[in-house]
Amino acid sequence: MELKRSLTSGAAGRLLVTVIMLALAIVMIVPFLWMISTSLKTPAEVFKYPIEWIPSHPTWAHHHKVWTGPKSFGTYYLNSLKISIIGMLGATFLSAFAAYGFARIEFKGRNALFMIYLSMMMVPPQVLFVPKFIMFEWASIYNTHLALILPGLFTIFGVFMLRQFFLSIPHEISESAFLDGAGHFRIFFRLVLPLAKPALATLAIIDFSWQWNDYENALVFLIDEKLYTVPLGLQNFILENTVDYNGMMAAASAGILPMIAVFVIGQRFIIQGLTNSAVKG
Amino acid sequence: MYNNWMRRQRLLGYVFIGPSMLGVLVFFLIPAVYSFGLMFTNYKFMSPNVEFVGADNIVRMLHDDLFYLSLRNTVIFLLAVPVSIGLGFVVAVILNQKIYLKKLLRGLYFMPYITSGVAVAFVWMLLFQPKQGPINGFLRSVGIAHPPGWLSTTTSSMYAIDIIWVWFLLGYNMIIYLAALQEVSSELLEAAKIDGARPTQILRKIIWPLVSPTTFLLLITGLIMTIKTFGIIQATTQGGPGNSTTILSLYVYQNAFRYYEMGYAATISWALFAIILLITLLQWLGQKKMGSLLSGQGGHRRWSLKEV
Repeated sequence: MELKRSLTSGAAGRLLVTVIMLALAIVMIVPFLWMISTSLKTPAEVFKYPIEWIPSHPTWAHHHKVWTGPKSFGTYYLNSLKISIIGMLGATFLSAFAAYGFARIEFKGRNALFMIYLSMMMVPPQVLFVPKFIMFEWASIYNTHLALILPGLFTIFGVFMLRQFFLSIPHEISESAFLDGAGHFRIFFRLVLPLAKPALATLAIIDFSWQWNDYENALVFLIDEKLYTVPLGLQNFILENTVDYNGMMAAASAGILPMIAVFVIGQRFIIQGLTNSAVKG
Repeated sequence: MYNNWMRRQRLLGYVFIGPSMLGVLVFFLIPAVYSFGLMFTNYKFMSPNVEFVGADNIVRMLHDDLFYLSLRNTVIFLLAVPVSIGLGFVVAVILNQKIYLKKLLRGLYFMPYITSGVAVAFVWMLLFQPKQGPINGFLRSVGIAHPPGWLSTTTSSMYAIDIIWVWFLLGYNMIIYLAALQEVSSELLEAAKIDGARPTQILRKIIWPLVSPTTFLLLITGLIMTIKTFGIIQATTQGGPGNSTTILSLYVYQNAFRYYEMGYAATISWALFAIILLITLLQWLGQKKMGSLLSGQGGHRRWSLKEV
């Protein structure tokens, strides 16, 4: 589809629009650029204007501060990785399992159960915070990683997304497998899961990014500093170093760079997954 | 024989959804019911006597000035959604033209959405720094002698949060629009061009109406997702200055975990639910209407994208 044929048909017009859009795109990522730049500056240079994007005397001292000492981000990283990876693997597998049930098996009460799932999507997390807090306290998993890992194993969005994908797999495939005597388990593991690899990858990446960025649950369910995840560790660092702007930005970089890496590697999957689940019927 | 086997196979449905259903039961359904019950109690953390107080919490909420203030702030927060949808649409239309570096540009605009978390909120906190921050530095350099105080004044803080939120959501809206634009038939556009329609006419009279189901979807999911968020606000302003950024979701958090008024917090959280329910009802009504308007396009399935 070409809209402004007059403007983008010629190479010059195309170049012009590209340059304008690139300039705006750079404005979009300015917060990231400023963060990295500031994390390498000296305190005196932080708020110098005009902004010195490439520091004249780059220093790694602030990154060093973030990664060493008793409150090193190393601990937060390990905690975050542990929670995010277990959550991601569990959520992806359990969602696939449930999605297969909802999409490919006709059993009694399926639609009613699916309605429960649907309705739970409307319930804001704030409704659940207090009861979960009381329940976790009672089960003595409050202030442990289990308080994040266990609920993290279940994602309603994931079930929806994969169900959608499984519905799109032609029914003839499983019917012929049935005639060959294969049951649902075999069809699921041998046929459907391999076909769903891209969808599984998408869900895994999106789920990982949610778990990694999850600040609200960690805020409610963790108090022990040793257990902090990256977002909480970051908040802690900022509360304790209120004037160390370079250090803050070094800490923020530590929190964001893994996500940038995940994004660069998984961009294709993320974009495909989000668009498929939102637009395609 | 075969029928028996098929019946047993069908029962496997329960096995497949069982584990997930258990999680939904324990971490969603039971807490939701529990929370509904808490609404009618005076439960406070660490306090031994829990009493049934009827509708007291609801009455209290309806007389709570801070509740209304946070409701108002929530509405201002939600303004970011239509703004980011509009901008996302514009960017998508342009990126859908024949231009260079399409993939790179798409990635750059989308980056805030995927990388964002509290980390980036802290970056914005410094960017918005009123006295020395780079944004006000820039504004002064272009001749604005008294730039806004952004997060630091009660009148501007909520709008500063809106800017962060627009920045965050824009790329997502753009991505969804880009997909929707792929489905706009090129023959239709060709025909319009042959009939002498100007680009702006094509945009307004053909493309915009054709992507209206997408716009509607983005609006609903965006509103619901936004209303549930409080992380960026808790991280940057904690609701201040002077409660000027206390939105409903944050007010629930504060009541529960700062003042330990668990019963009251539950009550406000159900007000939040009521708003989401209202938006969802609008969605159903709108979808019905849209479905009959655009019978070819109306069948898309929709749901909220942020995890529940």
